[in-house]
Amino acid sequence: MKQTARLILCLFLFGIFWGCGDSGTSGARPEGTKLRSSADLKDKRIGVLLGSTHDTYAMKTYPRATILQYKSPSDILLAVKSGKVDAAIYTYETLLDIFRTDHDLAFLGKPLFYIQVGTGFNKNNNALRKKFNEFLHGIKENGVYADMVDRWITRGESRMPAINGKKTNGVLVVGTVSDKGLPFTIVKDGRMIGFDVELTERFAAYLGKELKMADMEFGSLIAAAATNKIDMITSTLMITEERKKQIAFSDVYCELGASAFALKNNIAQPGDAVGASGATEASHSFLKKIADGFYNNIVHENRYHLILDGLKATVIISIFATIFGTLLGALVCSMRMSKILLLNLTARVYISILRGTPVLVLLMLIFYVVFASVSIDPIIVSIIAFGMNFAAYTAEIFRSGIQGVDKGQTEAGIAMGFTRVSTFRHIVLPQMVRRILPVYKGEFISLVKMTSIVGYIAVQDLTKAGDIIRSRTFDAFFPLVMVAILYFLISWLLLQSLEYAERLTDPKYKRRKAARA
Amino acid sequence: MIRVEHLSKKYGECTVLKDITVQINKGEVISIIGPSGTGKSTFLRCLNLLERPSGGAIYIDGADLLDKKTDVPGIRQRMNMVFQSFNLFSHLSVLENLTIGPIKLKGMNREEAERKALEILKLVGLAEKALNFPDELSGGQKQRVAIARCLAMDPEIILFDEPTSALDPTMVSEVLSVIRRLAREGMTMAIVTHEMAFARDVSNRVFYMDEGYLYEEGTPEQIFDNPQREKTRIFINRVRSFNYRITSPDYDLYAMNGEIEAFCEKQILTRKTRHNLLLLVEELLQLHHQIPSVFPLELTISHSEKHGNLELTLENAGEAINPLDPDLAPDDLGLNIINHLAEKIDYRRVDGKNSVMASLRED
Repeated sequence: MKQTARLILCLFLFGIFWGCGDSGTSGARPEGTKLRSSADLKDKRIGVLLGSTHDTYAMKTYPRATILQYKSPSDILLAVKSGKVDAAIYTYETLLDIFRTDHDLAFLGKPLFYIQVGTGFNKNNNALRKKFNEFLHGIKENGVYADMVDRWITRGESRMPAINGKKTNGVLVVGTVSDKGLPFTIVKDGRMIGFDVELTERFAAYLGKELKMADMEFGSLIAAAATNKIDMITSTLMITEERKKQIAFSDVYCELGASAFALKNNIAQPGDAVGASGATEASHSFLKKIADGFYNNIVHENRYHLILDGLKATVIISIFATIFGTLLGALVCSMRMSKILLLNLTARVYISILRGTPVLVLLMLIFYVVFASVSIDPIIVSIIAFGMNFAAYTAEIFRSGIQGVDKGQTEAGIAMGFTRVSTFRHIVLPQMVRRILPVYKGEFISLVKMTSIVGYIAVQDLTKAGDIIRSRTFDAFFPLVMVAILYFLISWLLLQSLEYAERLTDPKYKRRKAARA
Repeated sequence: MIRVEHLSKKYGECTVLKDITVQINKGEVISIIGPSGTGKSTFLRCLNLLERPSGGAIYIDGADLLDKKTDVPGIRQRMNMVFQSFNLFSHLSVLENLTIGPIKLKGMNREEAERKALEILKLVGLAEKALNFPDELSGGQKQRVAIARCLAMDPEIILFDEPTSALDPTMVSEVLSVIRRLAREGMTMAIVTHEMAFARDVSNRVFYMDEGYLYEEGTPEQIFDNPQREKTRIFINRVRSFNYRITSPDYDLYAMNGEIEAFCEKQILTRKTRHNLLLLVEELLQLHHQIPSVFPLELTISHSEKHGNLELTLENAGEAINPLDPDLAPDDLGLNIINHLAEKIDYRRVDGKNSVMASLRED
C-alpha cells in the first residue's frame, strides 16, 4: 500500500514537472508562416466550439481549412496555446476578458462578424418568452441594462450584485454552460456569476420565482429546452435559423463579435520581438510553479468545493448504480436462465441491446427521450442508465458463475431436503459469489470510470469539476492529473471493500486467520 | 416403507424405465445390479424425485410422492442420498457439511449440531478431518464424509448411487466397510453397485435390472447362485470381459498390457493375480508367434467373481495348428511356465478356428 502511494506521488510530480515545462513554449512557428490577417486562415487548422455559429461560419468561409470542433471554450484556448490549432474563432467579448490576464494570445484583426444573442424557450412556452421580452424592455428603459454592460463587459468586473426577489411563484429552471467564460458565465467561489447569470437572476426575481441553474454541455442545451427539461436557455445563445426550428428566441439582448485569435508569437506584427515573453517564463522556479498551480486550481475562489462536490456526485452515482445494476442484473440473469421462452428471450434481447449501445447514448436517451416530460434529478437518471448498463454485464457474469457451480452441488442440496430456493441460497450462491468476484471487480471499476460522461446531462461530477476549473485557469495539466488521481483513489478505495468481500467468501480465510493468530 | 407401482421414465423417445413395481421394507438392504445403462441410477433418482417419473406411482410411508400437495423436501430429509461423485459442499468445511442440514432444515442449534456431527465423524473415522475442506480429502474420505452428511440428518433410508465407482481401487474397501457397518446396525438402504461380492454379502434382497426392466429379484443366494432367468445368468457368470485384437506380429505390447492392467484394476484383482495374468498372456502369445498364419488373433479375458477365476481365450482362423504342441516351441521353458500358472489349459479346433483356452485362479 505504501509503495503504491509512493509510486503515485512520483508519477504526479513527474507529470507536473513535464506539464509546467511544456506550457507556453509550444506552438510557435517561424517568421515566414506567421498569420497576417484572417484571410491567412484559409488553409490552416481552426478551432471552434462544436455547434456554434463560429463553427458554421468557419466551415462556409474556409472550405479548405481543417476545422477542429471542441466541446468547451477552455479546450479551444488550450488547443491554441498548445499548437493543436493555428488559430481559433471565439466570442470577442469573452476573449477581451481573457486577454486581460493572458498575454500569450492576441486577436487576429477585427471581429469577423457580429451575432445577435437571445435567450431560448420551448416553442410552446410563448407566455414565458413574452414575459422575458417585457422584462428586457424594462431594464433597458430604466438603465439597469446599461449598468450591467458597463460593469461586466466594458470594465471587466467580476462581482455579482445582490438581487433579492420573492421566490413564491415556483421554480425557473435555466440551462446554461458554466464554463462559458467571463463576462458571461463562470464559476467563482462555488457559484456561477457573469452577465448571463445576473440577467437570469434579475428575470427570476422579476417573475418572483426561485432560480435553478442547470449546468450542461453546450450541445445538450437546445435539446433540453425542446424536451422541456429546462424552461429557458441563457448561455449567450446566438440566434440562428437552424436553432429557430427547435426553439423560440427572445428579443436580442446583446450583440457579440466573433474574432479570430492565435498565439501572439504567431501573429505577424511590425517590430515583433520574438521570444521576449519566454525568457521571463523560464525564470520561474519549478516549485513555485507547483505552488501556483495548486493555489490557482484548488485554493483560489474555493475551487476545492467544486472538486469535493464532483467527487460526491461520482461516488454516489458509482455506488448506487452498482447496487441497482447488481439487483437488476440478478433479475435479468434469472430471466435469462428461465425455461419460459418469453422471459428468456426478453433477457437475451435486453443483454444484447444494452451491451451493444454506448452508455453515453443510453444516458442521453433516458434523459431526453424516456424522461422527456418528467422533471427528474439527472443524478437519478445517471444511476438508472449506468445501472441498466451494469446489469447487462453482471447478468452474464452471474450466469457464468451459477453455471460454473457443479450441478451435483444442487442435487446434493435438494436430495438433502432443501427446497430449490434454499439450495440456491445456502449452497450455490456462496460458491458463485466467490467465483465471480474477480470479474465483477473489473466490471465495477469500469463503471466508476465510465461515470465521467455524466456531464452530458448536467451532472457536476468529478470530470465536470475538472473542466470547470480548467475553463477558469486554462491550465490543462493540474486539474486533469488531479482528477485522474482522484478517480484512481475512488476506484482503489471502493475496490478495497470488494476485496474484503472476496476474503470473506474464501472459506479457508477464517482458518488461515485463526492459524496466524 | 417405499412402494413403487408401474414406474416408468422416458427421455423424449427413449424409455429408460419400464413398468417397475417393487416394495422396500424397513430395515432391508437392497442391492441393485445390472449392466451399465439399464436405468439403475435413474430408478434410484426417481425414488427421491431428482428425476420426475413419466408414469406410475411412488408411495413413501403411504404418502404419494407425485401428489402436488405432498411435502417432497420434508420426505427427502428422511430419505437421503449418497452420490457417485460425492457432491460435498465445496465451500464448507467437513464439519459444516454435516451441520448445514440439521441447522437450516431441522432448526437444531449450532452447538448440538456440531457435537452430533463430531460423533458421526468418529463413526466413519474422520473426526480429525472436521476442519478440513473437501478438496483436501482423498476420494474415499470424501465419500465417507458424504455418508456422514446423510447420517447427520437422521434419515430412515439412504440411497447409494454407485458409491464406489469414482474411487481408486485402493479406497473402495474403506467406503464399503462403512456401508457394511450401517447395514449391521439396521439402516434401510438401497444401493446401486457394481461390487458383486459386496452386494452379495451386505444385502437382504438383490434387484437385477436389464434394459429398463426389473428383470429378476430375489435373495442374494437366489440371484448369485441360482439365477432363474437367462440374462441374469449370463451377467452373473460372465460378469465382465476384456477383448483385444492383435493384427500383426509387431503389435504394441505395452499398450495391450496397459489395457489389461486397467481391466484388472476395475475388477479389483490383486497384484499377484495381475502379474500372473500378464505373464500368462505374454507366454501364450510367444507360442503363437511361432506360427505365421495366426494373425489376426483375438484375445478375450473374462473375470468371474463367483468362481474366483479368470478365463483366457486366444482364437485365430489360420491353419489347424495347435500352438501348445511341444514340437513347435523352441524350448520347454514357455510351456512350463504356462502349465505352472494355468489351472487348466486346452486346445480345440472349433468352426474352422484354433482356440486356446486357459483358466487362471485368482490369488
